[in-house]
Order: sequence, then structure tokens, then C-alpha cells
Amino acid sequence: MSRVIFWSTVTFCTAFLALPLLLVWPLAFNTSSFLTYPLEGLTLDWFHQVLTQPTWVNAFLNSLKVAVGAMALALVIGGLAATGVILVPRALQVVLTGLFVSPLIVPSVVVGVAFAYAFGRAGIGGGYFSLVLAHAVLGAPLVFLSVLTSLRGLDPNLDLAGASMGASRSFRFRTVTLPLALPGFAAGALFAFITSFDEVVVALFLADPGSTTLPIALFAGLRDRLQPSIVVVAVLLSLMSLLFLALLRRLQMRVAAPKS
Amino acid sequence: MSFIEITQVSKHYGAFQALHDVTLSIPKGEFVTLLGPSGSGKTTLLKVLAGFEPVSSGGVLLEGRDITRVPPEKRNFGLVFQGYALFPHMTVEDNIAYPLRVRRRPRGEIAERVGALLKLVQLDRFAGRKPHELSGGQQQRVALARALVFKPDLLLLDEPMSALDKKLRHDLQEELRAIHRTLGTTFINVTHDQEEAMHMSDRIAVMNQGRVEQFDTAHALYRRPVSRFVAEFVGKSNIFAGRIDRGGGGQLFSGPGFTMPVPDCAQGEALALLRPEDVEIAGQAPMDGRIALPVTVTSSTYSGDRALYTLSPPTGAPILAYGSARSGVHPDGAALFAIFAPENAIVLD
Repeated sequence: MSRVIFWSTVTFCTAFLALPLLLVWPLAFNTSSFLTYPLEGLTLDWFHQVLTQPTWVNAFLNSLKVAVGAMALALVIGGLAATGVILVPRALQVVLTGLFVSPLIVPSVVVGVAFAYAFGRAGIGGGYFSLVLAHAVLGAPLVFLSVLTSLRGLDPNLDLAGASMGASRSFRFRTVTLPLALPGFAAGALFAFITSFDEVVVALFLADPGSTTLPIALFAGLRDRLQPSIVVVAVLLSLMSLLFLALLRRLQMRVAAPKS
Repeated sequence: MSFIEITQVSKHYGAFQALHDVTLSIPKGEFVTLLGPSGSGKTTLLKVLAGFEPVSSGGVLLEGRDITRVPPEKRNFGLVFQGYALFPHMTVEDNIAYPLRVRRRPRGEIAERVGALLKLVQLDRFAGRKPHELSGGQQQRVALARALVFKPDLLLLDEPMSALDKKLRHDLQEELRAIHRTLGTTFINVTHDQEEAMHMSDRIAVMNQGRVEQFDTAHALYRRPVSRFVAEFVGKSNIFAGRIDRGGGGQLFSGPGFTMPVPDCAQGEALALLRPEDVEIAGQAPMDGRIALPVTVTSSTYSGDRALYTLSPPTGAPILAYGSARSGVHPDGAALFAIFAPENAIVLD
């Protein structure tokens, strides 16, 4: 009986999550310029179009630049925050953790408005820099949580052992804590990258025509001309996500390995 | 002058006091064990010595120099952790080289010292392995080598044997003792295992509820314990409750079912201690001035070379006694005599 429940739940959830994605994929190869079934014929023209059209290519490059910048900044902010929080007393840890995680809880629209206003007043509104800053704030909590989890998993005696052998705090951090928490940093970085790469709400508030990101372009394309090229972009993004998922899986295995 | 001088160290955790005015002086080159049950403060004292726990009051001197507030990384003490705390991402070789890298020693010297230590702990063939590829006993030796490679002034061992099985524990005790003799470094070991403490140590500090009850050689602790706690914690014991009164020609201890002469000591309520090997078992009472109590056997544990009997006298607590088992073990219920000489009894205040 339990097996029946298990398999029906798994099947239902998988279908619910994956079916819409799978249904849309074949349309990327359709010869018709309308998003309809049945397929009229198979072609790679739409892929060719997406990969040569400046709008898509630029949007992709913009997204990549913003995501890499945001990831780097989030890694520094979130990583430092986690390393610091682990050292303070328990009660303060709870307060600080709440504070550092808060960007995850505040609705994106609110964050978008707040950043647009604040950056505008500060004279840094619009363009890459504001996008990187805003996305770094959104990504930092993910890095923070991921690094915090991997630091919590470390044996506190390792640090004490380092101290007893004469190593200063910074030497211990470089040679013991950082190498052992590296999978946590890497997973956090990946999360931050993905978050920035497909973030649309805050980006809508901050991007100017020169810094249009891929999700914004996709969003605009959906309204203007409903063409298979949109599906092509979606397929490419899905493939990228799958790649990241596989990468995360590997990282998690590396985290689990040293404890065995 | 002693090497380590611990003076009136107290440690409070909120309302709980883990150490009460602990005073100990440890001579250079000795193998000292802090022995006590869990919660006795032995680990706290070790942490104070390592510099991980600040004291609430009191101080620690190393060769006359106050190190009470010196951070652990400046103490130059080696430490073997209970779980070994080996760096999982480094090889055995890199683990042992770590304290030398910290000290920026030249490459050649590091290689030479690491090689020498690997040889000392007999792990030459495992230099390139990661800690998780080693057995528990091998990991323990890596931890030991890592704590000794930088020639520390003092080696602290936090229950180093607790995770090992009995046979391995015995071998490693021998090895640790040999290493101590070779190097001449002062060792301070923490354990709750009184056999381990007696096998390895020059001197043992028996701790109870945050206090040092007695600090002495294993023999002195066994033959001349200062308190009931020490008597019962170190070895097996028979304790008779009674009182001491002035009698004809000296002092007499009146216990349950017997009276015996004792050396001069305070009169009144007292306890007399008798070790099981000082109690003889026989079918008849001897006529040589020794005390003989009629007893019946309630249980026995046979261990080949001898048997440990639990005997019940007509009054008072059961008596433990070792008996020869060469011609078999006395059956349960057998009526015998427990015989002991008054001079082997130890009076506890």
C-alpha cells in the first residue's frame, strides 16, 4: 500500500512540475511560426535566429555580466556574514541570521521599488551597477545560509586543534575552515548566480534599455510577438538549469564525503 | 621549582562551579593523569591548561611565568583531542607538518621532523593516506605525532583511548609510555579509566566534583587513599563502617562483627578499608591473631588465574575477596571464613 502511495505521489508531482516544461519544448523545433500543436515539421531555424539576433545575444550577455558580478559580491557579503555569525554567542546568532536572511522574505516588488528609489536618490540608478548591487543583496542570503550550514557541520575541535598548534585565527581560516567549507561557498555562489540570472521583478525596476537582461527580454518578447524563438530561449535556460542542478548535486556529495 | 604550578584555580559556569580552588604542582618530565568520573572537572582543568577556557580565579604558572591569560596559540602545548580532530582534507604527512608550517620552518627541516615522527609512531607507510582511510588506532597515533612534532613544552591528552577497543588500548598505553620515556616531555592525560591511569602515570590526580581529592603515585592512591571516594574509585574495595575507641593498650576499631587494633588516630566514627587481595578465604578459622569472619558465598566470578568472591557476613555489607581457583571455585552458599590481618586495614577519617 505504501508503495502505491509513494509512486502515485512521485508520478503526480513529477508530472505537475515537469509536464508543462516538456510540452513546450517540441515547439522550439516547429517549422510553423505559431506556438501550436500539431507540429508542422522539424527545424533548427529558430535556434539559429536566437543565436544570431542581437537582441537575444545582448540580453544573454547582459544577464551573464550581471549574474557574475552579483555572484561575486554576494559571495563576499554572504560568506563574510556567515563566518562572522558562527563566532558570536547563540542569542546574537539568531538575531543576525534573521537580519541577513531578511532579503529572502521581503516581496521582490517592495525590494524593486526600494532599490529604484534609493539608487535614484544616490545617483546610481539604472544600468549594470545598480542591477549587480540589487541582485547581490538578493543572492547574499543564499550564500549566507549555504556557507553557514557547511560551517556548522565542521567539527569545532578542528579550529581548536589548529590553535593548539600555534596557528593564528587567519591562518586557521585559510588552511582549515575555508578548504573544508568550500563546497558550501560553491553551492552558495551557484544559488546566487541562478537567482540573479532569472530574476525579473527587481530587474524590471532597475534595468535601462542598455542593460536589458534575458528574463526582461523574454518577458517583452512574450507580449510583442509570440514566436518559437521564445521557446528556444526557454529550452536553453532549462538546459542551463539542469547543468547547475547536476553541479549542485556533485557539490553536495563532496560535502557529505569527508564525514564518512 | 615545579614545571607547571596550578594555584587555586576556580571555574564557574553561571551558578555551576566546575573547579573549586584546584592547586597542583607538576614536576618537569612527569606523566601525570587527571582521573575522575564524568563531571569531576578533569576536562575543564585540561581546557584551562590548554588555554581554551578562561579561569574565574586563580592562575597557572609555567616555569614561574604566568600563562593564565596567554591564548592557546601562544602556549606551545601539544594537544591530543578525544576525537583526534585530524584535518580531514590533509594527508597524514600534511597533518603532522601543520604545526611546523605554522612556525615557518624550512622545507628540509619539516620533511626531516615529519619523517622522524612518522617513524616514532610507526606510520611510515601511511604518510600519503587521508585520515578517513586509517583505523581508529592509527588516527590516534597521527594525532599524537602532530601534537609532538613541534617539541611542545607540555603534551595534553584528552581521553585519548576512549574510542578504542580494549586490546588496542592496552598496546597504545604501552606505546605512549615508551614515547614518554624516549622524549622526556611532560605529559598530562585525562581519563575516567582508573586502570589506564595506573598503568601509564607517574602520578595521578584523583578529581571529584571539581576538587583534587588526592595527587600521588598509583601505589600511594591504592594503599593509602585519603578519602572514601579515592578508595572506591581506585581499585576494588571493602569498606567497613565502625568506630574507634580507646581500649586496653591502644586504640580499637569496632566494625560489624569484629574488633581490631588500629594505629593512633582520631576517635569516633570511622571507616576501615580492606582491599580484596588482603582477604583470605578458608574453611577454618586460623589461630594466629588474624580476624576471621564467618561468611557464605553469594556469587563468584572466575577468571582463570583466580576468582573474585562476593561473601556475605552475618552483619554489615558484603565482602569482596580474591581466592585461588587452582582446585575449582567454592560453590554459592558455601560456608567459609573471611580472614584478614589488622595491619592490612586502612583507616579512613
